[in-house]
Amino acid sequence: MTAVVERPAPPAPRLDRDRRRWAWGLGALALLGWALASSGLLSGPVLNPAGTGQVGRFLAAAVRPELGAEFLRVVAGSTLVTVAYAVLGAGLAVLIGALGAVPASRTTWGRRRTGWLLTRGGLALPRGLHEAVWGLLLVNVLGLDPWVGVLAIAVPYGAITAKVFADLLDEAPRGAYRALLAAGAGRGTAALYGLLPPAAGGLLSYSFYRLECAVRSAVVLGLIGAGGLGYQLALSFTSLRWAQVWTTVYALALLCLLADVAGRAVRRRAAAPRPGPRRDPVLTGAVLAVVALAGWAVWYLALSPAALVSDRTREQVVWVASAAWPPATDGDLLPAVWWASVETLRMSVLAVAFATAGAVALAGLAARPGRPVRPGRAALGGLTRTGLLLLRAVPPPVWALVLLFVLLPGALPGAVALGVYTLGVLGRLVGEAVEEADRRPAEALRAAGASPATRWLYGGAPALAGPVLALALYRWEVVVRDTVLVGLLGAGGIGVLLSAATSSFDWPAVTTVLIAIVLLTVAVDLVGAQARAALR
Amino acid sequence: MAAGERVAVVGASGAGKSTLLGVLNGSVPPTAGSVRVLGQDPAALRGRELRRLRARTGTVHQHLELAGQLRVVHNVNAGRLGSWSAARAAWSLVRPQGTGDVLGALARVGLADRAYERTDRLSGGQRQRVALARLLVQRPELVLADEPASALDPALADQALGLLGELATGRGGALLACLHDPALALRHCDRVVGLAAGRVVLDAPARALTVAALEGFYGVSR
Repeated sequence: MTAVVERPAPPAPRLDRDRRRWAWGLGALALLGWALASSGLLSGPVLNPAGTGQVGRFLAAAVRPELGAEFLRVVAGSTLVTVAYAVLGAGLAVLIGALGAVPASRTTWGRRRTGWLLTRGGLALPRGLHEAVWGLLLVNVLGLDPWVGVLAIAVPYGAITAKVFADLLDEAPRGAYRALLAAGAGRGTAALYGLLPPAAGGLLSYSFYRLECAVRSAVVLGLIGAGGLGYQLALSFTSLRWAQVWTTVYALALLCLLADVAGRAVRRRAAAPRPGPRRDPVLTGAVLAVVALAGWAVWYLALSPAALVSDRTREQVVWVASAAWPPATDGDLLPAVWWASVETLRMSVLAVAFATAGAVALAGLAARPGRPVRPGRAALGGLTRTGLLLLRAVPPPVWALVLLFVLLPGALPGAVALGVYTLGVLGRLVGEAVEEADRRPAEALRAAGASPATRWLYGGAPALAGPVLALALYRWEVVVRDTVLVGLLGAGGIGVLLSAATSSFDWPAVTTVLIAIVLLTVAVDLVGAQARAALR
Repeated sequence: MAAGERVAVVGASGAGKSTLLGVLNGSVPPTAGSVRVLGQDPAALRGRELRRLRARTGTVHQHLELAGQLRVVHNVNAGRLGSWSAARAAWSLVRPQGTGDVLGALARVGLADRAYERTDRLSGGQRQRVALARLLVQRPELVLADEPASALDPALADQALGLLGELATGRGGALLACLHDPALALRHCDRVVGLAAGRVVLDAPARALTVAALEGFYGVSR
């Protein structure tokens, strides 16, 4: 007997749009439109007419920086101070990170989530505040002590490093670790033999990345008074000595550039170790050099542990802590904090939108072509890459100081400064994404007769859109923190409120602003993470 | 090659099969000599003229030419980019154009219900069939195929090659396919050309050859 089953015809396939992605896309467009409309960019003057005379003198000084022996000695000394802060700050951060990674890792806690959540939550506070904010707070507790510069880097970097180290350990291949546990090893020894080796390359590479960032942070800390190149720059700026300003800018750009290039070279070797039984001599040398530098830095900065535990420090901590709680909620403060937060958000959105648009526009030029090209095209590519390198060699607050000549004070110079710097960073990252992208889909379309524009639309863009947007979102989280920083120097946003409150020793107000900053950064991180999840 | 002919190219890996296809579709410039494709020399053409010639030649690679992040419908439509304007191509990414042809082509390769899925969610064999559907909407006169059946099971491989041959010869064109499977080559092609180290070492009608003879040619015991 046979049964005949009536099968309904399969329904015609339908185009189901991904609602979540559309919602994120439209939301982002609306946010950008609002930021643009309220930036004043489209209405009213933005250029500073009074500044044009100064700009001329300022720019003219670029070609004749101060090269007197005495000033060069000052700059060299400042450079050493900056390097010392960076090395000690990063070194301490890696130490904190290595210790903090244990309670911050899922592996430690297993199924029990409470301890893990508490540690992660505890790390959010030091992470949420920019190193310059820590610098500002620490100056008030420790006075003008070299520990300020070191700790201002070590505290936030240590928290970030602990989180990243924990993630690296959690994500390392677990086969060897499980096998050791099954063979009866304790969890500590199993982690040491089975988990640490596969993660070691990533941990080392990240440590060097932190050192590279610490150089930039040390420059920035100088701007708020911690000494070093940044401090020298601020001094020359306020006394309008343009030739000196340029010498310092060249020195700090060179230093950041060196850190960038050397850091990348070392990191590449750490992440992909060469086969063979011998240690990589470059890597060993780099690690030893950093350790030696740290020893030198302790001596050079005359760092003494006694300053941290002195009676004066303890008194100061107790006094600030008691004055800072409860946070101020009176009168005009809360609305002012709200509007400053909104302005910070707006500046960060403008900066990231500008940087992303610029990076995408330059991506074709910035990427190293995979095949031989005409000399003109090669030269243009090299020029673009060098230009991007220079944009990111100068930290955003320095850009803001320069732009304040050309633009009227307010949110715009800050946003443009952040945008210019972020363009330097994103330009490189997007260029690298283009280099790594699979060229075969576009080549196949070329063979089928597609024009360059359609080749890009159907063969290139689909693979790049996701990674580029994810990079932009990640940079947005960084830019929000940096917006606080340029604000500290008067370029608008919530940083202005913080610097006003600290300089008038209004500790309850400082607490309120700090809470607002942490909430803002946490909120932006959450939104960024959600948006990135929607992209996947 | 004559119109209506179906030619199989066989040879060990590295014999120059893929290079031959590249020279024919103009993506590899010949180091010596010249080729004539559909009556024209691709190396002598520039810009729009070259693109027009390329739009008349269709190439299936080993399904590596698909953009995995796009939906299937867009990857099939990509076969028509030679004749679409940039604006139309861009709009089609928002609202797919010409879905009738696309669904028809996908139905012929047995994937009609997957038209709006992301291409990287498909299996290797399904992606290979998407690449075939792209060619079906491109409607080229000369079909070049590089291992078009490598990820397909025997029944689907037979069907795929049948489709390719039909597509090429039905419009008075020709098919040139690099194949690893001698049985497939003999079943679906009229002529077999063997390459070794970039030189032609065999050129015979398929009727005169046996599977055993071709297997010896690959030089590998199977």
